[in-house]
This record gives sequence, C-alpha cells and structure tokens, in this order.
Amino acid sequence: MTDLLIIGAGLSGLLAGVWARRQGLRTRIAATGLGATHWHAGTIDALGYLPGEDAPVRSPFAALTRLTAARPGHPYALTGEAGLREALAAFRTLLEKLGLPYGGAANPDENLLLPSPAGAPRPVYLAPAAQLAGDMSRPEPYLVVGFQALRDFYPTVIAENLTKLGFRARAEFLPIELITDRRDFSTIDLARAMDSADLSRLANALKRVAAPGERIGLPAILGLRRHGQILAALSEAVGAPIFEIPTLPPSVPGLRLTTVLREHFERDLHGRLDLGMTVTDFHAEAGRVTWVASRASARPVRHRARRFLLATGGILGGGFHSEPRGRVWETIFDLPLTAPQKRSQWFRPDFLAPEGHPVFRGGVRVGPDFRPLTLAGEPAFENLWAAGNLLADSDPISERSLEGVAIATARAAVTSLINTDV
Amino acid sequence: MRAIETEILVIGGGVTGVGVAWDAALRGFDVILVERRDLAHGTSGRFHGLLHSGGRYVVKDPVSARECIHENRILRRTHAHCIEDTGGFFVVTPEDEDSDYPDRFVQACAETGVPCQEMAVSQALRREPRLNPRISRVFRVPDASVDGFQLTHATAQAARQAGARIFTYHQVTDLLVAGGEGDVRVVGARVFDAVRAEEMEIRAAMVINAAGAWAGRIAGMVGSRVDIVPGKGVMIATAHRLVNTVINRCKWPSDGDILVPAHTVSIIGTTDVPVADPEDLRIEEWEIRKMLAEGEKLIPGFARTRILRAWAGVRPLYRESAVTDDRDISRKFTLLDHQERDGVAGFITITGGKLTTFRLMAEKTVDRAAAHLGPRRPCITAETPVPGAEHGPYWLGHRLREVEDGRLQNQLICECELVTRGMLESAARLNPTVTLDDLRRDVRLGMGPCQGGFCTYRAVGVIHELKLGHGVTPDTEGSDWRVADLQSPAGNPGRGRPPVSGPEPVSSLADHLYDPNLLLRDFLQERWKGVVPIVWGQQLKQEQLDRLIYLSIMNVDHLPDAGLKSPLSDFYGVDVTPNDVLEEPHD
Repeated sequence: MTDLLIIGAGLSGLLAGVWARRQGLRTRIAATGLGATHWHAGTIDALGYLPGEDAPVRSPFAALTRLTAARPGHPYALTGEAGLREALAAFRTLLEKLGLPYGGAANPDENLLLPSPAGAPRPVYLAPAAQLAGDMSRPEPYLVVGFQALRDFYPTVIAENLTKLGFRARAEFLPIELITDRRDFSTIDLARAMDSADLSRLANALKRVAAPGERIGLPAILGLRRHGQILAALSEAVGAPIFEIPTLPPSVPGLRLTTVLREHFERDLHGRLDLGMTVTDFHAEAGRVTWVASRASARPVRHRARRFLLATGGILGGGFHSEPRGRVWETIFDLPLTAPQKRSQWFRPDFLAPEGHPVFRGGVRVGPDFRPLTLAGEPAFENLWAAGNLLADSDPISERSLEGVAIATARAAVTSLINTDV
Repeated sequence: MRAIETEILVIGGGVTGVGVAWDAALRGFDVILVERRDLAHGTSGRFHGLLHSGGRYVVKDPVSARECIHENRILRRTHAHCIEDTGGFFVVTPEDEDSDYPDRFVQACAETGVPCQEMAVSQALRREPRLNPRISRVFRVPDASVDGFQLTHATAQAARQAGARIFTYHQVTDLLVAGGEGDVRVVGARVFDAVRAEEMEIRAAMVINAAGAWAGRIAGMVGSRVDIVPGKGVMIATAHRLVNTVINRCKWPSDGDILVPAHTVSIIGTTDVPVADPEDLRIEEWEIRKMLAEGEKLIPGFARTRILRAWAGVRPLYRESAVTDDRDISRKFTLLDHQERDGVAGFITITGGKLTTFRLMAEKTVDRAAAHLGPRRPCITAETPVPGAEHGPYWLGHRLREVEDGRLQNQLICECELVTRGMLESAARLNPTVTLDDLRRDVRLGMGPCQGGFCTYRAVGVIHELKLGHGVTPDTEGSDWRVADLQSPAGNPGRGRPPVSGPEPVSSLADHLYDPNLLLRDFLQERWKGVVPIVWGQQLKQEQLDRLIYLSIMNVDHLPDAGLKSPLSDFYGVDVTPNDVLEEPHD
C-alpha cells in the first residue's frame, strides 16, 4: 500500500516526494506534467514585494509580519518565520548535495538583487551559483553578451536599463555559430549543445570582447548535464566572473532544478513518478479519501493510498479551472476556493497593478496542519493535505514568493502528514 | 508655427480617408492626409473583416446591396492581396425556419444582382464540418474575408505613390476659417503633431472631413451640425479558425449573426449599441454572452471554444431624422457639401457607409471636390490596382510556406502569427511607428493565442537593437512603403544575424518614443485591455503565464522611466474590467 500519493510534480510536489521518501514513506507522485518550474527563472523567490508596495523587500523574514498583517491567511502565516527559514535551509542543503548549489546574499537574512532579462532588479532569496555574480551589490561593471539570432535574450535592453539604474553596463554580441550550427533552436537546444561544445572558441571570443575588471552576463544556456564544469571552465579560461541571466521560457535553470529533483526522487530514493497521469476524480468514505482516479484510454484507473497530498498548483499549474460566468474551482476534490466567483471581481484595470489581481490570489484554505478546510472550517478529509501555489491568500507572482511558498508549504505539509496517524 | 499648403486636406486615416487621398492624388490634386493616431486605428481596424457581397442588405437596404456587390468585384482586382477569397454562406438555422425571410432573400438577391446559389446542406457540411448539422438551407454568395489593416495601408501606399502626403499622429485641433457672416470658408486646419509635440497649420483650398465616427466633432469646429450616432459593435476572436467560409445567418440582420475566418482566427460579430462617445469602447458582459450564444447556433460548441480577445468598433451612422433602432439607420453613405448645406465653403463631410464601399465613397467625394476646385483627370481608382495586388488573394498558409521555403524559423519573433524579425524591422522602418500596436496592425504581431506573451519582449528587443544599428535587414530608409511585402516573411529576408560590429544608429526612429520600457508597458496593457473581457479557462492560464514572464522573470513593473507616456498610454489604460450587467438592457 502506498503511504503517500502526491498529486502534482511541480516544485512543491517533487520536494514533498523527496522529503517524504527520506522519512521512509512509500511515496508516489502522479501528475499531468512537470508543473511550472521550467517556465520560471530557476531562482528561489521567497518574498520580493509586499502587496501594493514599490520598494523591494530587503529581508523576507523581517517583512513577514507586515505580509501576514495584510494577508492573514497567507501560507507563511501557517509556516511561520521559523518554518520558512528551516525549509529554505533544507532546500539549500539538498541542492548542494545534488550538485546544483544555490547561494544568497552575504547576510543570510536578506534578498539579493539580480538583473532580469529586461534589466530590472529582481529580488530573490536564493539563486543558482551560476547567477550569483550578477549580484547588484558587487562592484564590477556589467558586460552583457548576447548571441546573434537568439530571439529570447536582448543584451542592449538589459545594458541600457542597468545604465539608467546607475550601474556601469554595456552590451556585445557573439555569433551563434560558437555554440550551434542549427538553424532553429531554443535556449534548451543551446544548453544541450553547450554540454558537448568546444568551450575554447567561446572563451576566446569572450576574452576578445571583455574589458579588464568586467563581469560577464550571458543568457542562461550554459549546459544542462555539465553545467557546473562549464561555468567553472569558462570563468577560468576567460579570467572574469561569468554569470547567467534568465531568458524567456523555457528556462534552462528551471529545467536543471526540475531534473535534479526528479532524478533524486526516482533514482536515489526509488520513488515512483508517473507523468501523463491526470487525476480527475476521487472517492471518499467516512471522511477519508480512499482512492483517486486518473484518466486513461479505456477507463479511469484508481490509485489507493493512506495519505494524499494535493500539489496541483493554482491557475497556472492547472489545479484550478474557470468558466465564463466567473466560477473558479479546484479540479479534483472541488474544495472551496477563496477566489471571487464573479468575473467582475477578478481583475484590476492595470495589467501591472501592484496589488495583483484578486482572481490570482484565491485558493484553497488549509488549517495549521495543512489539511484543506471545508467552508465550516473543518478538515475536508482526514487524510488529505495541500501544499504549493494552490493555497489561499497568496499571489506568488505579485509577491515574488513563488518558490518560497512551494518549498515552505511542501516541507510543512510533509511534517504534518508524517506526524498524523491515519 | 510651421505652415504648409495643399489643395485638398483629408482628415481621417481610416479606409475612407486614405481612399479619398488616393483618388484625389490620382486625379492630379495636391493632397495631405492627417490622422491623429495610426492608420486604421479607428473603425477600419476594428471590424469583423467581412468583405460584403451585399447579401446582408438585399432585403433591408437594396441600394447598399447593389453598391456592395459592385465594389466587391472591383476590390477583388484593385486590392486582391488584401482579400482572402473564402466565399460566404447564408444558412437557415432551426431558430430561423419559421420565417419567409429565406425566400425573400433569394428573390432580393436576384433583384439586386447579388449572385446567390442554393446548395445542398450535405455539400455545405462537407465543406464546413463544424457547421450546425441542423441547418435546413444554405445559399452561397461571393462574400470574402478582408484584412482592414492591409487594405488601409495598401491604399495609403498607393496614395503616396501618386503624390499624397500622409501624416499620422497628427490631430486636428481646430479648423481655419476665413470670411465672415454669410461668407464662411474653411481654409485649412491647425494640427498637433503628437510625436514631435508641436503645432502646425495646414492651409488647403478644400478640407474633406473623413473622420468617421468623429466626423461630427470636426464639423462642429465650424458650427456645422452633423449628427453621427456612434454605433458600437462588439466582436470576439476565437483561438482557432473554426470555418473557412464566411457564415451568415439567413435572417433579418441582427446581433452576432456573422462568423468570418480571418487569417488564423475566426471572428464573430457584432452587437449594435448607440454610444454617446466614439471613444467609449467598453465591452459589456451581456455582449460577450450574446456573441457566445449566437455563435453556438452556427457552430455547436462555439461557447466552449477558446476565446482570444474581444474588441469594439464604432460605426459612423449618420442620422437624418429621429430613428429608434440603430441598425435601421441607413448603411448607405452620406456626402455633405457644407457650402450647399450650411453655407460653409471649402468643406465636405463624407460619412456613413461600409468598408466594402470605401472606394465608391471616395470617388463621389472627390467628384464633389472637383466640382468646386475645377475638374482634373477623371476617376481611375476602379481600374488601378494598388501596389501588391499583383500577388493575388492571400491564403492561410502563405506565411508558413515562405518561412519553410526560406528556412526562416530562427527569425520568428511571433510564432503564433509567423512574424519574422525582418518583417518587424521593415515595418518599424517604413511605417511611422509609435507603439508596438502600430506594428501589430502592420504584421499581426501578438494577435495569436499567447496575446503578446512571448513576442512583446522580443519585439522590444528587436526594435531596440534596430535603433542601435543591429538590424538584420538592409536600411531602406526613404524608399517607398512596401506594404504588400510587410506581410510576407520572404519579402523581408534578413541576413539571419546582425552585424558583429560597426553599428550605425537608425535615425528615422522617433528617438524619445523608442524607450524600450515604454514600448513594453504600453503593449502589455494594450493586449490586456482586449483580453480582460473574455478571459477564463485556458486563456486565464495563459495570462498567468504572461504575468509570470513579465512580473516574476522580467520585473517590468520595476523598470526605470515609469513616468513616460506615449500618445496612446491613456487610451490603453481605460478601465475595461467586466461589469455585472448580464442581460441586454431593454428600453
């Protein structure tokens, strides 16, 4: 019998799988696909902006009180500061061990500011080692190097905005032939090509365009499998700090993160991960979920487990669906959502509204033990937990808390479900 | 203040205005056209794309029907490349069976000369398998799908080649008047150049008011009363091309009874709501529901299909006397010679009408102007193909074939609509461009399923690199507009990659308006404006992905220059969030 069936293989689902497996639970993950991690920048955003405020958050931990005062049901109100700190530290330790080290600001309480692909400062809490030299508190001038014909990265825009923000920055282009001869390619194709490319040509070309003392920002394409070696070899050959700047999706840093977690879960921990398995239905008896069913060609397949963890994400991840009349619902258990159920209340007029849009803040309300609640405030089912970006009262994209919420709630939910007898 | 002179000043850069400029220039007049925004920014760029056969009007307005079929035949020659020859059906749905309309329709087609052929329902369903299988009769007519942006731009290019000068982003702030009581004469206009932020005077022997739904405001500047009832129509575009033929309901013209295949999408329209202000383009919730419900009658499942966008346009309906229902106001055009009508000389208003009949409207208008200014050469627009017509009608696959044949995949900036980097660069160089929305009208940037999610950042980057001299296409500044080629990946072959060194900044781009951050914010807001009225389901997920890209990854809400505004920033910022009015108001 499966001890834990996790529905969803985004960052929260995969991490929950890893942490539950390490506690000895027989764990399965069933998911449609790999969530939204490979769309994002590969950084760990814990809390970048408070609702409606323009200045970036300096310390996500220090800002928690104000966040939870504005949004009392926020997932961080449930994990608490200690829970958030502990989960982020556990994540960092895990990724170090998996060979994809993450780092942060010199003061571990604070965010870093890293240049975005538009040249704006992104407040992030942890970044892959490859992005760290972009840290805006470092003194070196920026050289942003792009590749001709790469349509997902525009170095002149980045350099111009960095200059406007008061940094010394300039842009250069290199021929794409240094990496590939293909006519059509994505950033993922380029990263794969880098895994087997002759680095000396690229290193020489970089040396030619770089001035002494500059740090070199490249699009995030520096390899998938051999990423660590490539970064080290290139920095050494060029003799300058080299760092990656995220690109338009698909995201190579996001794919690296997904890949190491997935392989760790499946290979090292012998967990079972079934993709292409969309859970659509469930059955409950006496307040307990007995099985969930996934779509299959002939008839729905039932999956039994002692415990279930819902980590299907919100609107972006596919955990919620919506229709013209304004109804928004959770697709498997039809759990009550806090999202406004009238379309006239979904949006604000500005796409970039600093408060975000109400529809994207609605979600599943859970108790302190991360079990989803009924409207009456009781656990909906004895053996169902929820984690990740489907949780209520958080707009992770406006807050820049996407990964922080996923990591902290996955950690908290796993702790809760292990300590609950079912 | 700068002052220039011309014989004829045309106000309005919709299809009517550019048609007048084209016709007048061909006859040998010196012509200037001013448009306060981009060409086709108003009604000519906000309709469903139907080139009428006349079928829609045969019963109700036979004069319009005759004009339509006459002009339909001409435009297929003169503007062939702006048209996709889809043909059209008039179908009798179960809702329309208990009516004698179909028989009256057949009879009226015969009387007005609109070719109409009844065909077997089974045959129609083979050609259009999504069509409601419960339809009882189908009539085939020569409707077509027409690209209003390209039609306007191609006509403007022809006008320029004939010597007309066309100034976009030039708003008329006042008309210049000479003479006094009983002898008033319009002698030009004061114009504000929104790009250079300066005023100028244009003096003209004749001013032609082709401002469409805004014509009443222009006429009001000299105290002439022209009652335009702006009739707002809402259209929605589906993510898929549901049909390859224009589908009309065979009934008395009403709301949501036309479905037009337009490039990669299909468009259903329209509602008809009188509004006080032609800028009032708000879309009501009931209008969306009505379009979905009416679409369902033509295509079962329509209401569940993915909707990309909704927009509204305003018909310039001219009210001769009190009429209650908008759609009963004549769709015929109206030519007002203000000298005869109000004693204001040197001033003509052309209004009403339909896109299909723009050439005829222009001909009659210039005939009238020539009666005052002295005749020149006769009208030859009916026999004069505009540049690009030699390519013949477009078809759905033309861009894909050119991309594949030319191996231009790595140049694709907008994958949804197959817009290459070369096309964008040419459009930015050759057409006056202030926002990315202008480029959208030129090359269909951002009009596909992701609604600018990926191409907004890319287009901003391309324009920025172009400005710095990193273009992939040769600089053809000063050459004629090649509007026909803008739509063509093969017509704008890039070198594949920008030069490594020696950038020469492109001087023709209005520098202060090319702030990349302003371009980004404007276009994101412009796209959002059209998505909000119809976003749910899959498209809501798409919008959340777009937020992930532009907020989480790009952080564009924290870029420098937050205070910069383009001439259109406020227009894009109008609140369009859906209201709670779910039912059509009855009065």
